[in-house]
Amino acid sequence: MKILDIQNLKTYYSTFKGDVMAVDDVRLQMDRGEALGLVGESGCGKTTLALAIMRLLPWNGRIVEGKIKLDDVDIISLDEKTFDKDYRWKKMSYIFQGAMNALNPVFKVGDQIAEAITIHEDVEKKEALERARELFELVGIDPERVISYPHELSGGMKQRAMIAMALACNPDFIIADEPTTALDVIVQAQTLKVINDLQKKLGLTMILITHDLSVVAQTCTTCAIMYAGNIVEYADIETIFKDPVHPYTQALISAFPSIKEDRRELKSIAGVPPNLLDPPTGCRFNPRCPNRMDVCTKEKPEYTELSDNHLASCHLLTKEA
Amino acid sequence: MNGEAGLKVVNLRKWFPVRKGIVSTLLSRKTEYVRAVDDVSFDVKKGEIFGLAGESGCGKTTTGKTILRLLEPTSGEVYFEGRNITSLNKLEMKKMRRKMQIVYQDPYQSINPRMTVFEIISEPISIHKLADSLAETEEIVYKSLEDVELVPAEDFVNRFPHELSGGQRQRVAIARTMVLQPSFIIADEPISMLDVSIRAGIMKVMLKTKEAQGITYIFITHDLAYARHICHRGAIMYLGKIVEMASMDNLVKNPIHPYTNALMMAVPVPDPTYEKARAVISGEVPTPINPPPGCRFNPRCSKASEICRREEPELLEMENGHFVACHHAI
Repeated sequence: MKILDIQNLKTYYSTFKGDVMAVDDVRLQMDRGEALGLVGESGCGKTTLALAIMRLLPWNGRIVEGKIKLDDVDIISLDEKTFDKDYRWKKMSYIFQGAMNALNPVFKVGDQIAEAITIHEDVEKKEALERARELFELVGIDPERVISYPHELSGGMKQRAMIAMALACNPDFIIADEPTTALDVIVQAQTLKVINDLQKKLGLTMILITHDLSVVAQTCTTCAIMYAGNIVEYADIETIFKDPVHPYTQALISAFPSIKEDRRELKSIAGVPPNLLDPPTGCRFNPRCPNRMDVCTKEKPEYTELSDNHLASCHLLTKEA
Repeated sequence: MNGEAGLKVVNLRKWFPVRKGIVSTLLSRKTEYVRAVDDVSFDVKKGEIFGLAGESGCGKTTTGKTILRLLEPTSGEVYFEGRNITSLNKLEMKKMRRKMQIVYQDPYQSINPRMTVFEIISEPISIHKLADSLAETEEIVYKSLEDVELVPAEDFVNRFPHELSGGQRQRVAIARTMVLQPSFIIADEPISMLDVSIRAGIMKVMLKTKEAQGITYIFITHDLAYARHICHRGAIMYLGKIVEMASMDNLVKNPIHPYTNALMMAVPVPDPTYEKARAVISGEVPTPINPPPGCRFNPRCSKASEICRREEPELLEMENGHFVACHHAI
């Protein structure tokens, strides 16, 4: 059984100018223990997708259609109280983007973690604080630091504290939203190592949201490429890099520099990502696609299953078949 | 020799005094300094792209700003095309600035949101009196917009920054720099705020004129993978000091300094089959207020020995053009 099963999810934001179709017809399934890299440029809907899964959408966002099943339970249809009590943070948790701002500056970090525990579990504060110390040890911070305020911690330590908080109630499923974006390369490597080790050790199922393909290459087992509200390609990590079929995936990979290759000219993708208030008809990548055909501007491509666990939505694939 | 060197930086220092409270002042305790840039020397050949890389807080941006005298150096000299620009007076410096320009990191902050694109690009033209008439100004502005590939230019001149995407804003910022026809540009993380798919395009318009006009660049970045593909030579900074300087090829393939080595190992590689040595060094960059004595990297260095804690290593040439500041490199 799949731990996460998202079917035809549509999430829109209402604005004065109309609906922004941030997530539009997304299908995604995840196996237990899978580490999925959700990659895309800013504004492609990756954070919206994650917030929809956590049911943390801002006031103007709403799930229009679709199902999100966690362990075969449709979590969209649950009432808020049950979801908050039994799911959010207990079965699934979230490492927020920008650890610098996600912690409350006027409370000690240990207390903030303990708060998350006491809300969801029937334990005393003292016991919760003890758990916070254990969690600190788990993510590689000196347990004595639970009495520190956020400003007393370095950027890397704050990010680790956020990871500790996400693990507070032993969830099976975590979403890490750009966990290393604001960090320097060495601290980024340290943080990724912590996430990677914990994911394996605790057998977590994880979605890692990032715009950085190289981070995904080194931490994830599968990868979903998102563009303008759609997942355009999904495969295991080796296939995505070795044998990408969607023109957007191909272009993204060739735009990405590697320190290990010889000096080369980097290629950019012409044009800009579309406005999701009024996305292009047909395939949303068609205005920027080098292989555009007539059908691309008219019809939305369906998913084609290329091999086991390799899906892509592009008209080029059905044309050849 | 000096005529050939585009830019020469000699023993550049920029120390910022740490503001003290009234008690410390009354007790006349010694002023502490943030040694943001501490004795940095390097030169950049004409037409070269020189990378200045390091983690945040290592002093790379301060070095850039001090070179342009946007910050006055505490000591040291900067020679540009043979002239010592640190000794120039205000008026001479203003003339010099036309040739020495900077492109900032954040196009959301570096261009004035209340000015139209036309006003933004024409402002430097009027400051440096490069045009005699409005018609001439218009011609220069339109040409510069075409150079940065914002076409048709008529569509853009009357827009305000909020009507532009991040990439378009950065193109406007580049156009504003390029109208002055500078011969030296400091690019301070010009693409780090932008999306991956458009980064290469922005770099291309910025470097396009380089071949034709022989512009010298300093490319400040924390992204070593980009530096690897853009720069000819580079220097790695740590706590206000250059620890290693070499051709980009050498820096990437044969790093000598343990810090450079650690950095290169920490850069993620977009290749899932690549197994890297997972020996990530621990700790984070300490504060530059009271840097550790001796080699500044010694508290985090696996090779640190007694001499490293006592004496500061000098930046020495190991082989042709490869400079390293490490006691264990010799």
